[in-house]
Amino acid sequence: MDATILLVEDDPSIREITRLGLEEAGFTVQSAADGEEAIVRFRHDQPDLVVLDVMLPKRDGLDVCRTIRSESSVPVVMLTARGDAIDIVVGLESGADDYVTKPFEMPILIARIRAALRRAQLMDPAETLTLGQVRIDVPGHRATIAGEEISLSPTEFRLLLELVRRPGQVFTREVLLERVWGYSYLGDSRLVDVAIQRLRSKLTAAGGSSELIETVRGVGYRAGR
Amino acid sequence: MFGSFRTRLIATVFALIAVTAGAVGAVSYVLVKDSLRDQLVSDAVARAEFNINVLATADQLSAGAGRQEFETSGLADRFLLRGTGGLYAEFPDGETFASSLGLLAVGDMLSGQLRDIVARGEFGYEFLEIDDTPTLVVAGRRPPGGPDFFFLDSAEDITAAIDQLARVLLIAGLGVLILGALAAGLIARRVLRPVAVASQAATAMAGGDLTVRVPAETNDELGSLAVAFNQMATALEDQIGALVEAHDRERRFVADVSHELRTPLTALVNEAAMLQGRLSSLPDSDQRIGELLVADVARLRTLVEDLLEVSRLEAGSAAPEFVDVDPVRFLEAVIADRHPATRLDVRAPVPSVRADRRSLERIVGNLLDNAKNHAENAAVTMTVGVDADTLAVSVADQGPGVEPAQLPHLFDRFYKTDASRQGGSGLGLAIARQHARRLGGDLTARQLDPQGLVFDLELPVTVLLQAGDSAEMSQLQAEGEETDLTRREP
Repeated sequence: MDATILLVEDDPSIREITRLGLEEAGFTVQSAADGEEAIVRFRHDQPDLVVLDVMLPKRDGLDVCRTIRSESSVPVVMLTARGDAIDIVVGLESGADDYVTKPFEMPILIARIRAALRRAQLMDPAETLTLGQVRIDVPGHRATIAGEEISLSPTEFRLLLELVRRPGQVFTREVLLERVWGYSYLGDSRLVDVAIQRLRSKLTAAGGSSELIETVRGVGYRAGR
Repeated sequence: MFGSFRTRLIATVFALIAVTAGAVGAVSYVLVKDSLRDQLVSDAVARAEFNINVLATADQLSAGAGRQEFETSGLADRFLLRGTGGLYAEFPDGETFASSLGLLAVGDMLSGQLRDIVARGEFGYEFLEIDDTPTLVVAGRRPPGGPDFFFLDSAEDITAAIDQLARVLLIAGLGVLILGALAAGLIARRVLRPVAVASQAATAMAGGDLTVRVPAETNDELGSLAVAFNQMATALEDQIGALVEAHDRERRFVADVSHELRTPLTALVNEAAMLQGRLSSLPDSDQRIGELLVADVARLRTLVEDLLEVSRLEAGSAAPEFVDVDPVRFLEAVIADRHPATRLDVRAPVPSVRADRRSLERIVGNLLDNAKNHAENAAVTMTVGVDADTLAVSVADQGPGVEPAQLPHLFDRFYKTDASRQGGSGLGLAIARQHARRLGGDLTARQLDPQGLVFDLELPVTVLLQAGDSAEMSQLQAEGEETDLTRREP
């Protein structure tokens, strides 16, 4: 896999060993040591994925993540402090696709990076799906509502695709975690909840019905028929 | 005791008021009664003296005169004209005279005492009930030998006045008693209010509210009690505040230390992981060192993560998050992750529940780690069941177990049953129990017969779906069938 990764981490030891690990796994790695450098690097290098520490000097990771999201749908994997629930939720809400908690192990980080890249680069069959006003051009990774394009991150796109492919079927959070994020049963269901929130607000902002994605209490989510 | 003090205080004040009112009433009754009678008596006696000494003189009536002489003298009419109500007279010859027919009976009613006084030639009086009328009888003998005159005056007016007085005093007395009771209650309340307030404050303080204070309203003993109480409260609050602050500082320090350790540890963990992949390229003599380093980094990591978990639990910062859990699938996933050799024993269908999954993962994961570390190569069995609103999970190993005396200490922090044994932070079971209790459940340990150890977890949960539905749904989802599952909801 010849993807370019932007690694943003202020601690030199972690930055260096992570870079070594990622390079060993076959990625091309650019690195930045603070938030400002991260934005400059991001604009210059156009990476395929960003690994972003939350605690950064100058501009923190959440701020950087929001800036990146406003310019691009590139996958972002956050490095957070384990169990600091607020950190994780805020990180996801600022647009991160996934997160890994410190101290992380390299195989886990690499697995999360690969899963996120797969979502962005997956080759799909040439098909077009429609559900009400929503139209999904699968190979083009584009979704439109009444002809107007909605800007979705790869994760949000795959989530929408999963739901729209089987309208009316209820997906539990676990099933969505497995199918979209590639987690086994022990993934964090907040990933799904936050991504659904973001997806839903993008759809309604583009004029879609708020009932397009329904919450089925105690079970999960489904696309309205 | 406080209640009886109040009662005693009310009773004392009331009794004091009652006795005072009674005494004042009785004394004024007696004084007024005596004064009214004295007035009546002295008037009547003065009149009798005048009648006998001035009117019935020798020129009017001869000594030892009989009834006939008296009647013809016209003295009776003169006596009556002077204001006497009635007249009864006894003559030396035994004849009697009465100004009206009814008064003839007076002779039988007179006391011997009065007759003796009269016989001595003195004036005397007594009160008699004549024709249902209280009557004052003043008696005197015309010197030297008679006749004896008994002047009768109605005492009805003063008796009525005295009766009236008694009634007024009685009513006033009752009024005073009622007022007294009210006053006693009020006084007791007023006197005891600071005590009641202090008592309430002390109760609140015992309940943990150290901010309570008592208003020091008065300048008396109760006021100083309030001041002393407040001083004590302030001292207590300060001391406990200082203790809490010290404890907080200590807790923050542990949290900060663990947090700070995390960054170098992240680097270390990954460096060790990379080293592990290259161990074979090291000279044989260095390989063992590399292995030890990798193992120790792993231990250090567990320790720091557990310390972080402890500080999070202590700080109470991580609120429980309740999500839907299919216990069997969940436990299978935890087993696959932590100790794949474990056998999961499901005896009856298990329904889906709502539970804090991350805590549950912590608890069950730590129990599996514990079994892996302390019952190496021994069979480990996990059983799961949901009974009413309780999720019960047991983890049983057939390892060496522990001494009975060690059993209660298994959940102590850093408690090691075997000093030589390594692996684990010594915090895992303590963390597991803390999670269980935080969620309103409990985690206990018992010996397994003939050998081994069982940990029993009981957690209150909300049952979501019937077991049958749950199994069906998992199966459907696994197959990815297009079925409207919501219809299956009960």
